[in-house]
Amino acid sequence: MTIKVGDKIPSVKIKHMTKDGVKDITTDEIFGGKKVALFALPGAFTPTCSAKHLPGFVQNAAQIKSKGVNTIACLSVNDAFVMDAWGKNQNVGENVLMLADGNAELTKALGLEMDGSGYGMGTRSRRYSMLVDNGVVTQLNVEKPGAFEVSNAETMLKQL
Amino acid sequence: MAIKVGDRIPSAKVRHMTKDGPKEMTTDELFKGKKVAVFGLPGAFTRTCSGQHLPGFVQNADALKDKGINTIACVSVNDAFVMDAWGKSQNVADKVLMLADGNAEFTKALGLEIDRSDVGFGMRSQRYSMIVDDGVVKQLNLEKPGAFEISGAETLLKQL
Repeated sequence: MTIKVGDKIPSVKIKHMTKDGVKDITTDEIFGGKKVALFALPGAFTPTCSAKHLPGFVQNAAQIKSKGVNTIACLSVNDAFVMDAWGKNQNVGENVLMLADGNAELTKALGLEMDGSGYGMGTRSRRYSMLVDNGVVTQLNVEKPGAFEVSNAETMLKQL
Repeated sequence: MAIKVGDRIPSAKVRHMTKDGPKEMTTDELFKGKKVAVFGLPGAFTRTCSGQHLPGFVQNADALKDKGINTIACVSVNDAFVMDAWGKSQNVADKVLMLADGNAEFTKALGLEIDRSDVGFGMRSQRYSMIVDDGVVKQLNLEKPGAFEISGAETLLKQL
């Protein structure tokens, strides 16, 4: 079942790249006691994700954080090496935490997976954004397949 | 069952990036009437793959082609966008054909898949190299998990 506003983010372990290599990170560590703007997308280095979705959050990072968001996180069903390379390629710096859900564990736990096999991508994440306050979803913007209308940084800014 | 020397490459579809976006490519198109050096690896942008395996084939591309190889192809269970971005970051140009087996269809048909969910990778390819002559495997160098000893470009050169 798909997560909805008011639900608690399930406990799952994913990965992210650190100076010391790939490390586990739990949803408790990501969301516990914090206000987090999370956005997810079908794949690193894909056209919409690289040209619009991620750059929008990078450009609006300071503004989003000035409205009380502690962490901006980008989630995709890619591994930590790919997410790290993509973040560097997009000059993400410290603005956005690049989260690797390579096994699609978190994505499936949220009920937001989609079958990208038709594009040679296996199981991936739908495109969405959400605001999570201390682990509880307070805003959720899930795109229709192929769309990029409601999950952008500008919409999220207005919801803060 | 894993493929072995003397076997014919099974029919499968992979993808590769073109000027017009990702396109499908069949194993027939890839192998028919050609001598192909194929190497498979666990993931784009990962340490051994980026630091040694792919660069070795880029550096030895001319030497391999001098010995009768028509195509050098790199296969990974990543999508075409990631393989393209990785190829560019490694200055592959047209020396190595970057093949995206995002659904692991080709890798599973060869019986060379490996479950790397433990490191957040999902299902991936083992590390190997092979020489395929008109669709038939002539040499196969399959690494033990974690090793990079026998699937390098230098070994393949000696086998030609």
